[in-house]
Amino acid sequence: MENTNLKLNSNFRTQNLTINMGPQHPSTHGVLRVELISDGEIVRAAYPHLGYLHRCFEKHAENLDYLGVVPFCDRMDYVASMNQELGFCMAVEKLLQAEIPERAQVIRVIVLELNRIASHLLAFGTYGLDMGGFTPFLFAFRDREKVLRIFEEICGARLLYNYIRPGGVSRDLSEGIINKIKDFTAYFKPQLDELDSLLTHNSIFVNRTANVGIVPLDLAISYGFSGPNLRGSGLNWDLRKQAPYCGYEKYDFDVCIGQGERGVIGDCWNRYEVRVREMYESMKIINQAIEQLPEGEIKGGVGKTIKPQGEVYVTTECPRGELGFYLIADGSKKPYRLKINSPCFNAISCLDELCGGVMLADVVSIIGSLDIVLGEVDR
Amino acid sequence: MANKSPVAKYFSNIFMAIKTVSKGMSITMRSFLKTNGLIRKISPSGYDYGRGPVTISYPEQKDKLPAISRNRLFNHVEGCISCNQCAVVCPVDCISIDSRKKNEGENLDEKTPKHFGNKPIKLKLLRFDIDEGLCCFCGLCTEVCPTECLVHTTEFEYSKYDRDALKYDYLDFKDNNSLPE
Repeated sequence: MENTNLKLNSNFRTQNLTINMGPQHPSTHGVLRVELISDGEIVRAAYPHLGYLHRCFEKHAENLDYLGVVPFCDRMDYVASMNQELGFCMAVEKLLQAEIPERAQVIRVIVLELNRIASHLLAFGTYGLDMGGFTPFLFAFRDREKVLRIFEEICGARLLYNYIRPGGVSRDLSEGIINKIKDFTAYFKPQLDELDSLLTHNSIFVNRTANVGIVPLDLAISYGFSGPNLRGSGLNWDLRKQAPYCGYEKYDFDVCIGQGERGVIGDCWNRYEVRVREMYESMKIINQAIEQLPEGEIKGGVGKTIKPQGEVYVTTECPRGELGFYLIADGSKKPYRLKINSPCFNAISCLDELCGGVMLADVVSIIGSLDIVLGEVDR
Repeated sequence: MANKSPVAKYFSNIFMAIKTVSKGMSITMRSFLKTNGLIRKISPSGYDYGRGPVTISYPEQKDKLPAISRNRLFNHVEGCISCNQCAVVCPVDCISIDSRKKNEGENLDEKTPKHFGNKPIKLKLLRFDIDEGLCCFCGLCTEVCPTECLVHTTEFEYSKYDRDALKYDYLDFKDNNSLPE
């Protein structure tokens, strides 16, 4: 970073320029406005302004019955809806102390990991696009489309599924869909090798991302990072291993941690690379889950009218990190209060720390590597 | 990299650039050949992935959606028993239903069902409106429907110039698009 401390001739007086990046900007990944204080090409400070996609979800949930909240959970992180639904449903199930049927658990794991692949593919493609590579974006969307087609046949929707319900899932997997999922994993493994070789070690890409936006582990922990962002900083922390839910303890998979092959641990390249390797792990989990898919019920443990009582905090490992639902229920048909802890909000809070003293083009690289979805930041 | 002399660094940068660009170009070329059917790749279960374009030329060519795909709602009012469950469960309140108690001996010649299970139906449906502009396609209403007369169709091309045209009255269903079967 020697070029950032440029010494100017003292006869020139310069002043900082304020630039608004966003809210309509292709590489802020949504309606994020970043107020950049720039000194020429060097960014001195970056203040993220949030709230452009705020939809009062937490307040609105107090006016909906428990089944009606689930479609709104989809609309928070619209790239990984299955994972968002699961957190809320698990919170309700925990209050009701419901026993979820074994088949429903395994189906949940299959759709969660498929959605993780779809979400990471989007992150992979758009990050390549941010760095100036258009081909990986098209290739990633071609493969993501196959996952979305599978989802459309499972539950009828491509993006906002409303599939996981308190007590199980809404539809059963047929034999034809299971064969399609098997086909997909067989097809996707070589495709992912190809995508990986296309972008990960490309020298232009590595020069743009390695040693940029370094998040040391203590900074990551103090800002409450989670998910691939935290693992990119080198901590072995994955809720699927640390506090298993949905029977994740039965599957054999590795937690991907940033190794710092191309730079320092915790830089943009590591966060990106953790996501690529996680897709391989997700495929491992899907293959194991399909093999041990038991027969039986897909819904159970929860009655027709859902009236839980008590307080509960449930966290799950979403593609973007730990999503937490704090639910207070008073025994009526509607939640008394719902509070959501969003991993993207924590990640974007760190933007000012990361952007001090970097070049203007690196801001795009840093925002892309954090992989934020503004629907979840603002809720 | 830091130990190299500037000249060695210069040439190694050029070499790396050529290497990575040619790697990318070879992948793109392989993809081009696969798309045009010059290389074939078949999955273990026999599905041919390596041939043909991935995209379709919409709207000339239309994709076939799965039967359970959730698009525009349609209510077969002959089967509707005015139970109001769909309107209650709807999270965005886009369904409005009016009904009144039947008089004795009324509706004997109409198509509406007279019994649901072994219970006689006491209500007559007066209005069944859905504002498709509000619908969030969550599918909760079709799941609670006891007679399965309210369904999601695979019809998705129904954009209108006027928002009010998206309010469908299913007792008197009129639409420019073809009716679902």
